[in-house]
Formats: sequence, structure tokens, C-alpha cells
Amino acid sequence: MNRHDLKTISEQMKTKHGQFKQKVCVCCGAGCLSSGSEAVLKKLQEEVKLKGKENEIEVVPSGCMGPCNKGPLVKVNPGQTIYQQVEGEKVSVIVDEHLIADRPIEKMVLFSDTREKPFINSQEDPFYKKQHKIVLADCGDVNPESLEDYVFYGGYQALDKVLFQMSSEDVIAEIKHSRLRGRGGAGFPTGIKWETVYKYVADQKYVICNGDEGDPGAFMDRSVLEGNPHRVLEGMAIAGYAVGASKGYVYIRGEYPLAIKRFELAIKQAKKIGLLGANILGSAFSFDVEIRIGAGAFVCGEETALIASIEGQRGTPRPRPPFPAESGLWGKPTLINNVETFSSIVPIIACSGEWYSEIGTTKSSGTKVFALAGKINISGLIEVPMGTSLREIIFDIGGGIPGDKAFKAAQTGGPSGGCIPAEHLDTKVDYESLVALGSIMGSGGLIVMDETSDMVDVARFFMEFCMDESCGKCVPCRVGTKMMFDLLTKICQRKALPMDLERLEELAVFVKETSLCGLGMSAPNPLLSTLRYFRNEYEDYVNKSQALAGTR
Amino acid sequence: MPKISVKIDDKDLEVEVGTTVLDVCRANDIDIPTMCHLKGLVDVGACRLCLVEVEGTSKLLPSCTTKVQANQVIHTQTDKLKKYRRMITELFFAERNHVCSVCIANGNCELQDLGYKVGMENVRFPYLFQNCEVDSSHSKFVMDHNRCIMCTRCVRVCSDVEGAHNWGIMNRGYQVRIIADFNVPWGDSTTCTYCGKCVDVCPTGALWNKDATQGSMQKYPQAVSDLVEKREMKS
Ligand SMILES: Cc1cc2nc3c(=O)[nH]c(=O)nc-3n(C[C@H](O)[C@H](O)[C@H](O)COP(=O)(O)O)c2cc1C
Ligand code: SF4
Ligand code: SF4
Ligand code: FES
Repeated sequence: MNRHDLKTISEQMKTKHGQFKQKVCVCCGAGCLSSGSEAVLKKLQEEVKLKGKENEIEVVPSGCMGPCNKGPLVKVNPGQTIYQQVEGEKVSVIVDEHLIADRPIEKMVLFSDTREKPFINSQEDPFYKKQHKIVLADCGDVNPESLEDYVFYGGYQALDKVLFQMSSEDVIAEIKHSRLRGRGGAGFPTGIKWETVYKYVADQKYVICNGDEGDPGAFMDRSVLEGNPHRVLEGMAIAGYAVGASKGYVYIRGEYPLAIKRFELAIKQAKKIGLLGANILGSAFSFDVEIRIGAGAFVCGEETALIASIEGQRGTPRPRPPFPAESGLWGKPTLINNVETFSSIVPIIACSGEWYSEIGTTKSSGTKVFALAGKINISGLIEVPMGTSLREIIFDIGGGIPGDKAFKAAQTGGPSGGCIPAEHLDTKVDYESLVALGSIMGSGGLIVMDETSDMVDVARFFMEFCMDESCGKCVPCRVGTKMMFDLLTKICQRKALPMDLERLEELAVFVKETSLCGLGMSAPNPLLSTLRYFRNEYEDYVNKSQALAGTR
Repeated sequence: MPKISVKIDDKDLEVEVGTTVLDVCRANDIDIPTMCHLKGLVDVGACRLCLVEVEGTSKLLPSCTTKVQANQVIHTQTDKLKKYRRMITELFFAERNHVCSVCIANGNCELQDLGYKVGMENVRFPYLFQNCEVDSSHSKFVMDHNRCIMCTRCVRVCSDVEGAHNWGIMNRGYQVRIIADFNVPWGDSTTCTYCGKCVDVCPTGALWNKDATQGSMQKYPQAVSDLVEKREMKS
């Protein structure tokens, strides 16, 4: 395979897609699959064939379209009409009415159950209108199981550009210019990380893609891996070229069998035609990728634990420095980035660092994918420019709180993050603003809570998670999370005294400051942030216990 | 070896590049408590007792794994560090069941010494009261998990010095346990060489000789440190 062949594939696909008048995408992301989209795909294909239209209408599987709780979703192009909760009879109605008679069915389209006037063109709906899709740009259109389809959408052009028109330094400069920051949680500048790995001299370097995604409620990386695996693969290859690595690993958690399957397929397809392996596209650059499957430990998302796990050791963190950039996998310089970070590379190379840097805020450029969950009308996957306010995300895009209940708090960053109360709804979301509020961006989980939520119980839930997921290596986290969980339980059982609350706070600050890795350092965050904004709820519990104690 | 200057607790020091903060302190009579560290074994930074403050860094750093860098200003005895060292000690005592008065290591225990050193007068945090096993299946030694503080010295000495790989770690969080082979009674281990190095390095009364009685068990962690040093000199 050389550069010319890549063009040929693209041309062939253009001709192939050009034959069809309509393209029907059936969402085969994990959410829609669980509500039965695979059967819908089959049925649609059969019906189209039955009507003899298989040469005019193309029916394909695609990745996640966003509003997961409305699945199975079916999108008809041209026109971007999305139908929700497609099942049974609805399939034939779509085929007869929309596909053949060209009469879109308003009462079946997305949000037809909640909006007075639903939109035939889904992209005009407020849910999509305020979004800006870069990472998820082709997710929901491209067939994740077809390399040719990916190439049709411009795939592997960025790799081609990098290999033949750019030096390693050029690539790094472009990424630095974009001001992209790591999407795995901490927001470390990606360009600087690449440059650091590039500068170390070694006989072997590695690139690792972190797809462990262990936060409860988060499914961004999963959707990207399932919906557009080649995009991640291409981003990794570009990274390999930039830092001088010839080998890559993708670490995906075992709970994501579909992501593993699709990624395996993507690797196989790319290898087969020489987009991975020796002398890619006829250049001097060689790069190979292997999958490693995690066993579901949250701590294995921490980079040093993840590296230990790939090496076949017990997945526990080690102190840094040395950072993986200096001494990572098997002691070699290693670049480790998140799935979403790698997915942002292709558009940056294809458009420009300048273009990317102009999206978002001054300190946090670009877009961020969030997984909306909890007490919110539309739960699912969204992508917004950095700097979008929580209010816009929750009310304009997510459609607000169900059942006329009042908003109470938004939890970001999962077990490492915190709860942001109503008075900060207008905060423009970026790395710094969330930290200032006592939370973190994290990987993008966003759980909405309404007035009925008990914030002490929320803190207790996340503490239990951290206690269970603590690797047990260092004392503060191992013992401290258990003690804090016990104290929170005592409070919820109305058995706590003011002294217990004091101990709890003392432990929280101690564990945060003395733990070995990010898990322990951030485990107290949900507790500390609820204490900051909802202290009265803790005090209510304690006061009630004292009242009860009087009667016991 | 080239030298660099650092300042530790107001002392200006010239030290060799590549030395850990802990080694510099020990060589200069600056006392930092440690538990997982043992000279001769690879450091893991797990007990967090040796944390120090480095100016310009917001995080506390473990001195056993952190190498000194030129012109660093380091503080090892601040009120905060002293408080945290005491809290760590309290957590050790609260985690499992350390009943010194009936322990074979009473009077010869690094954990007990630590309690005195950091001025721990009582434990202010709730005890976990874990019900741990006592494994007396081995013909020469006993493992009492109630006294184990998970410093992993035994694991490291067994794999890196003896080369037997008998000891491992199982479970997560506060339920972690030291295990023999793939979690068999120690006496059934097929890798244990009966060398007793783990017993010698264990800082508490978790590992002991079967014939020991209350307060009679002496440990010799120094023996392992010396052994490693001699080997290094030879090679
Ligand atoms: C407990 C813990 C869990 C983590 N889990 C993940 C994860 O699931 N995915 C991820 O990309 N990064 C995770 N991280 C962050 C990684 O250590 C690392 O910083 C990240 O993969 C770097 O990629 P980035 O620069 O692209 O953000 C976790 C960190 C900690 C402390
Ligand atoms: S902070 Fe928790 S998860 Fe991290 S090393 Fe310590 S015990 Fe393990
Ligand atoms: S048995 Fe002793 S040496 Fe081994 S981890 Fe426990 S306390 Fe440390
Ligand atoms: S001696 Fe350094 S962390 Fe235990």
C-alpha cells in the first residue's frame, strides 16, 4: 500500500456511496445495542431489500449519536433526520413513508415525545445546536467496522500528511500550537508531553492509549473506541511518528467487549493494507499496535499502574518521578495519552493547531466530550467547546431536570471530583474553573442531581467506590478511605457526634496530601466539596443523632 | 560523581548527584522515620512516613524515592509533617490488631518504636478491628496477619534477595493480604526456601520464629542490608 492506493480507496468509496440516494445509519453504540438496535439494523436491511431498493438505499451500522436514552436511534441522510426508540412496526413505517415516499414522520423523530415542535433535521434541535463535534465529528455517520468508510470520511489523510510533509518537530509544534491538553483528567499540555518523550534518546520508545475509563457514569472513551476506532489508531500512529516510537499499546477495560472487538478489527484492517506495520505508506516509519485488556480495576487507569499491568505485574502505582516520559513501559520512554486526546490529533493535523486553539477558552482550548447522566431529561454523550457553562450543558442541551424538580448539584470528575451547586451554574467549564470550585474536569462524567438527592449519601457512595478501588499500597488511602467511609456511614445512620465530623475533615485533608497516587489524592474531593457547599446537611444529621442520643 | 548543593532544614549540604533525600538526611543526622524503606531493598514509597516538603513543589514527596536536585530547599520537620507522621502511625495501629502486651515482638518492634518516636499517645481514629488469620502451617515460622502493616519488605526480600518469590500480595484496599505462592498455607508453599530473611526484615510481630514467646523475638533487618552490600561489593 502506498499513498496512491489511499486515494484509490477514497475514490472507490465515493463511487460506491454515490450510487445510493439515501444512507440510513443505525446506531450500534453500546447504549443503542442494549435497547435492541442490532435487530433494527437487520430488519431495516431486510425491508429495504424486500422493496427492491437495496441499490438506492444504503443501511449501515454506526457509532454513538448522543442521546443514548432515546435509543435505538436511526438516522436518515441526506436531511439528518433521526428517529428515536425505533422498534417493531416503526421500521416499516420509516421505510415506506420516509425512505420510499419521502415523507419524514414528525411524530416519530428525536424528542417528538417531549418537544412541542420536534425538528425533522436533528441538527437544528437545541440538543445538537449548542454542541461542537470534533472528537465525535464522524461518530454516528462512519461505519466503525469499515476502514474504507473511514477513509471515505478523510481518514488516514492526516497520517499521510505527517509522514510526507512534516518532521517530528513540525508535528510537535503543531500540537503545541493547538494548546490541546490531556483529556484523561489532569489536563497536562499534550504538546509538551510529546516533546519530552521525543527528547529522550532510547533504542525503543512506546506509545500507550489509556482506554481504562473506570469512573462510574463515564462512557466517553468507550463511545469513541466503539464509534470511530480508526481515528484513535491514526492519532496513535501520528504520535508514534512524532516521539519516535515504533510500538503502541491500547489498554481497554475488559468490561468493554464491543470496543475491544471493533478496535481489534481496526488494527487487523490497518495491518492488512499496510497502514500499520513496517514502512507505512511507503515511508521510513514503522509502527505496530497491540491491545491489552484490563481487568476492571479503577486504579489501573493511573498511568504507572497501567504500565505495571501491561508488564504483567500487579496493577499498583509507583511514585513519580520518574515520569513515564522518562522511564515508562519496561523502563523505556513512554508517551501515555487518553483516548479522547488521541482522537483530537487527526483534526488538529488536518485543519491546524491555530484553528483548534481558537476554540474554547484561553487556558483550555478545543472541545470536551461529556457523558450526561443522573436526573436529566436527555442523558447521553455530548461534545461542547471548553468554556460552555454548566447551565447551557444541563438545561439547553440536556433539557433540564425531569418532573419539575429543582436542580441541586452537578457532579463532575466522578470519584475524583466534586459537586457544584446551583449558585455556580453559570461557571464556564474548563480545567481551572472546576478546580477553583473544588471539583475537577476529570475524564468527562457529569452526573446531575435534583433536590431529592442527599449529599451526604452522595459523598458516601463515592467514598465507598474509592475504598473498594484503593489498591492498598499506601497507608493513607488504604486505611483512610475505609475510615472515612465508616464515619460517613455513621453519619447517615444518625449515630455520629460532632467529634466524628471533625475527625472526618481531618482525615480528608490528610489523605489528600499524603497519598501516593491520584486515587488517594482525590478520593476526599466528593466529601470535601459537599462539606463546602452542603455543610448544613452534615450538621443536620449530626444534630439529629444528638437529639436521638437523648432519647436512647 | 559530580556534587550539587542543597539546603535541608537550614543546613547547607554538598551531595552527590543521584542520592535520595533520605540517604542525604541519614548521612547528616537528620532523623526521618521510615517503615517500608530498608537499605538493600528497592524502595516503593508506600508507608508515606518519610514525606518531606520541597520548596516550589505543592506535593509532599517521599524522601526514600526522591533524588535530590541542585539548589533544592527541603524541610523535613515542619509541624504539618510531624502531624501527618503521627496520623500515619495512628492509622497503622487502628488498621489491624496490635496488642503489644501479648506480642512476641514486644520491646523489639519498629512499629512500637515509631509510636514512641512520633509521640502517639492514643489513637483518635476508629479501629477497623479486622479479623485476620494466623498462619502457623510452616514448620519453622509463623505469619500473624493481625500484626502486618503491609510494608512489603518480606515480598521484596524474598524475590529480590533470596530469589524465591514465595510472598505475594492479594486483594485491594484495606483487605490486602500478604500471601504465600498463589494463596496457599505457608507450609504448603513450593517456593519457600526456609531461609528466614523475611522474618528478619519484618518490622513488626507479623513474621516470627515458631519457638518465640511473648517479647522474645529479635529481628535482624541489618543482616539483609549487610548481605546486599557485600554482594554489591563483590560484583
Ligand atoms: C485513579 C486514577 C485513574 C485514572 N483513570 C484514567 C482513565 O481511565 N483514563 C485516562 O485516560 N486517564 C486516567 N487517569 C490519568 C492517567 O494517569 C494519565 O494522566 C492520563 O492517561 C494521561 O493522558 P492525557 O495526558 O491524555 O490526559 C487516571 C488517573 C488516576 C490517578
Ligand atoms: S493512593 Fe490508594 S490507589 Fe494510590 S497507591 Fe495509595 S493505596 Fe494505592
Ligand atoms: S509480614 Fe512483616 S515484612 Fe511482610 S508486609 Fe507484613 S509487616 Fe511487612
Ligand atoms: S520509607 Fe519512604 S514511603 Fe515508606
